[in-house]
This record gives sequence, structure tokens and C-alpha cells, in this order.
Amino acid sequence: MPKFWRGALYAALLVAALYYLLPLYVMVVTSLKTMDQIRAGNLLSLPTSISFEAWGKAWSSACTGVDCGGLQPFFWNSVRMVIPAVLISTTLGALNGYVLSKWRFRGSELTFALILFGVFIPFQVVLLPMAQTLGWFGIANSIAGLVTVHVIYGLASTTLFFRNYYVSIPDELIKAARLDGAGFWRIFLRIIIPMSTPIIMVVLIWQFTQIWNDFLFGVVFSAGDSKPITVGLNNLANTSTSVKEYNVDMSAALIAALPTILVYVFAGKYFVRGLTAGAVKG
Amino acid sequence: MGALAIKNVTKSFGDTHILKGIDIEIESGQFLILVGPSGCGKSTLMNIIAGLESPTTGEVHIGGRVVNNVAPKDRDIAMVFQSYALYPTMNVRQNIAFGMETRGVPKKEQDEIIARVAKMLQMDHLLDRKPSQLSGGQRQRVAMGRALARDPILFLFDEPLSNLDAKLRVEMRTEIKQLHHRLKTTIVYVTHDQIEAMTLGDKIAVMKDGVIQQFGSPQEIYDQPANLFVASFIGSPSMNFIPCHLAEQDGQLGVSLQSEGEARFIALPQAAKLTGSVGKKVILGIRPEQFDVVGEQGLACKVHLTEPTGPDTMVLTQLNGIEVCARLHPREAKGPGDTVRLQPDVSKAVLFDAESEARLA
Repeated sequence: MPKFWRGALYAALLVAALYYLLPLYVMVVTSLKTMDQIRAGNLLSLPTSISFEAWGKAWSSACTGVDCGGLQPFFWNSVRMVIPAVLISTTLGALNGYVLSKWRFRGSELTFALILFGVFIPFQVVLLPMAQTLGWFGIANSIAGLVTVHVIYGLASTTLFFRNYYVSIPDELIKAARLDGAGFWRIFLRIIIPMSTPIIMVVLIWQFTQIWNDFLFGVVFSAGDSKPITVGLNNLANTSTSVKEYNVDMSAALIAALPTILVYVFAGKYFVRGLTAGAVKG
Repeated sequence: MGALAIKNVTKSFGDTHILKGIDIEIESGQFLILVGPSGCGKSTLMNIIAGLESPTTGEVHIGGRVVNNVAPKDRDIAMVFQSYALYPTMNVRQNIAFGMETRGVPKKEQDEIIARVAKMLQMDHLLDRKPSQLSGGQRQRVAMGRALARDPILFLFDEPLSNLDAKLRVEMRTEIKQLHHRLKTTIVYVTHDQIEAMTLGDKIAVMKDGVIQQFGSPQEIYDQPANLFVASFIGSPSMNFIPCHLAEQDGQLGVSLQSEGEARFIALPQAAKLTGSVGKKVILGIRPEQFDVVGEQGLACKVHLTEPTGPDTMVLTQLNGIEVCARLHPREAKGPGDTVRLQPDVSKAVLFDAESEARLA
């Protein structure tokens, strides 16, 4: 009975999808309710009237510890952290991948293996040495420090992505360009980068998500006015006031998640395309 | 002055010796073929000529100057690659212009050169297309156009036709030959296809295991192969190698061929100098087209299989217990199970030493 099994399959998938979507649903509806509605209804009920009051509060006036300026400053901190960190780690990853795949040198395979090692190092392991190092550099507790940490930590994955993509580009292309008189940089900028759109999209999305969502580095290596949004969200939700404002908490969580969701919505197709581009040679 | 001279070039990676002392010299305007099975080092040699790899020892001269320490771009060469190596994000015009741009050729001159090359290769209508919008043959043409735009003193072709289908390959082969006749530029052409080697080359270097087995004109290589390998590599279907013993009969040296229990002494005038080696194990090399169907004096051979190709029919039979192919006129070829009377044309037959595999006569 293939029809039966197909139905069962869809049912199972539907249940799984609901299971994943339910928390999002709860967050969205709760964020649009007023506290009175929350008290009156249950978790799943739809708001009787839609109110963006909680969003406004979460953005500009909710208390995170002693400050009551909402998530806004944290959000801009994250933006100021994520943009340079993503751009720098992507650029360096592309260069690393280009060198490790097209300009091999004695020991380049070993170098790649060592860089690859970085993908598997858990965040927690590097916390103390990193804190010390940032201190020596004089960039502890600053956005510059966070950018540095994320660039260094992201390099392993960005290098891996680019290197594996570039390995599938025929070496003859590089030879042809060398005979045409192009050198290292001209080949990179004129031949390789224009071919890299899919993998650049993948790495940009990957790095953006990783860095935007990071909490551990954010909480350890930032202080005062350099805290990223994940830390802000945590502080907001943990700040004890007389009443627990669920709608504000939910709005704040959605604000924190919105950029990565938007990135997926607008660039998700590149992500899938780019991930398979290296594997299946088109 | 030689257009290209390769002097005692070797290439090793640690204990792996890719090239073991290559010496080649060709005149300006000649078409040199490097041919051999995969792994023979021909592509490495090509890369060394291009400057993409450097030799371990030895010298490469292009146009009379030593270029060992000259960068690829400054060697005044252009190369056509097997995969065409067209820049995928650029259109045809940009592909051709890229090298000129790098060399700082003025824009106006670039346009003139592109127009001239496009006209020569009849690809004016393709100039604004991306490589992905071209067929295999068109890509090949663009790759050649890119090389032509360079106007070098030496063209390098690295298996340029091996990605094309059979029909197109023959067409492009003719086109390359015509191009060479017109331009008279020196060409080095790497291939593993012996037909391309024979049809295109002025000079052929047959390579195996990093050593040049023979260097000569196509006809020399075909008629007087230096050893068993060259003889088996050049010619299709391959030369027949019949194991025999050198014998003497009536004061003449020759070998004995057996078929269907019948033995016949074949005198080989070219073996006269081998008088000291009577009784020695040798290998008689006879090309398939050197068999004639004759009357009673021929050796009776039983046909095992026939392979008609149209103009000729390949007849498979046995001599001295070895499968032998004879290329016969379809009218003379019989069917499997029948008997044909064959006589080898011994004037063109060659003898190899069974041990060293070198040609004796």
C-alpha cells in the first residue's frame, strides 16, 4: 500500500513541522498581546486585538539590569560587530581557500589540516587564553575585541568552505590566466571571485548567523556598552521586576532573531544552491 | 635558429622521476607532436615548456634564448588547454581580451585583433556569449582564438581535441592543420591519439616512462619504429608481433611462419646483417596492411573473425599461435571459418629483439 505509506510519511512530516513551528507561533501571538490578554487567555489563543506596544517597549524602554533603554543599543552593537566580522572573515577565508587550493606550497595540506582543526575546537576551550590575548592587545571588552574573536574563530569554517569550492575549479583556468600574464591578485579578483557568488552567499549567511546568534563570546568578551543583542536579550529576560512581561520578552526574542530570519528568507535559495554547487559539478 | 630546443631536461619529485633526460629540437614553423600513453610525462614536458613547472635539470630554449627563468607570460607563447580553460564569467570577447588587457594593449588595438581573430575562426556571432552558452566545438574555437590573439612565436596545444566527439574531432583536426599552414607558427601539440600525431605532425616525439622512445617524421616512425613500444603505439589496428626464431635457409636469413600445421620460410633481405644471430628469438612486426591475398604460394590461414570498416575488412587469423590482423580489400576477405591464402610483404616488415624489444632490422 504505497499510498498509505505516503500518507503516513506526510503525516509524520506535518507533526514534525508543527512541533518546530509551535514555539514560533506562541512567540509571535504572545508578542502581539497585551498583558491583560495574556492573563485572560491561554498560551495558544489568538490576540483579541493586535498591539505592538510590547515590541515598542522591548526596542526602546525595557529594562536590562539597571538601564532601561530597551534592546536598541544592543542591536546596534551587534550590527557594528557582525558587519566587519562577517566581511573580514569571509574575505580572509576566500583568500585562504584560494591559496590552499590553487597556489599549493610545501606543507599546504598540513596547513589546511591544522586550520580544519579549528572547526572542531569548542568555544569554551579558547575562552581563557582568548581573554588574556585580548587584554594584551588592549581590545578587551570592546566591539573591536569581539570582531577579532569572531574573525579568528570563523576563519576555520570560511577557509574550509572556500577551499572545497575552489578545489572543483579546474587548475587549467589558473594556468591559462598565468599565461595571459595575470598574477596572484589579478587571477583572484578577475577570475576566481566572479565565479564565487554561490559560495560567498553561503559563507556570508553562515557567518552572519553564527556571529549574530553567538552568546558565549558575547557574554564573556564584552562589557558595559559593547554587549551584543544576545546578551541584551538575556539581561532583559532575566531582569526581575514585579511582573513578568511575557509579551515584551517574546518581542525582544523576535527582534533578536529577526535579522537571521530575514537573511534566510532573502538569501536562502543561494544557501542551498551554494552548498550543492561544489558537490555536483554543473 | 631553432624555434624550440629542449636540452637534457629532467623532472623529479623526490624519488619519482617524471622526465629522464629529454632532448628535442625543432625548426621554426614546425609542428611537433608529443605523443604517448597517459603518465608518460608529455603533459609535464608541455608545462615545462610553458613555464608552469620548472625542470629539475636541463634547459629550455624558445626562439634562441634560454627561458628557464622567464615567467610564462614573458615567453611569447600561447596555450590551448584540454578543458579549454575559458573564463566562465566573461563573454568570448572578454576572454580573448583578458590577456591583451593584462599586457596593456591599447583598447583600439584589442578590438582590431579580436575582430581579426573572430573572422579567421568564423566566430563573429559568438563574441557576446558566455562559454556556458557555447557547444564543445565552439569553446574549442574560442580557446584557439584566445591563443591566436596573442600572436606568439610558439603555440602549445595540450590535448585540445580529446573532449570533442569523434566527428568534430576530425573536423577540428583539419582546421588546426590548415591554421598551421596559414600562420606557419611553431606548434607543440600534446596528444595520446596516434592518428592526430600522424596526421598533424612534422615531427613526432613518442614518449613512454619519461623517455623519448623515438623522435622523427611521422613516416619514419611508422615505417622504422625504434622499438616494440613505438611500433605498437603508432598505427591502428596495431602492428602484428609474431614471435619467431631467426633461421637460415639457402644462404638467406629469415623466419618461419606456421599456420594450420603448415610452415613456410620467409626470407628477410633486411636481416642479412644479422648472420651472427641465427637461432635467436626475435619478433617479426608486420602491419595489417602488409598482407596480400595470393594464390597457392600463400600461407593458408583460417579466418576467425572479420571486422568490415567499409574501405577495408580486418581479418583476424593466427600465425605462430598468435592472433594476427590482416587488412584486406572487402572483395578478398572471406567469412569466419573460411581459409585465405596470405603472403606478407616482407620488404616493409621489421624485426625486434625479443628481449630488449629494440628493432634489429
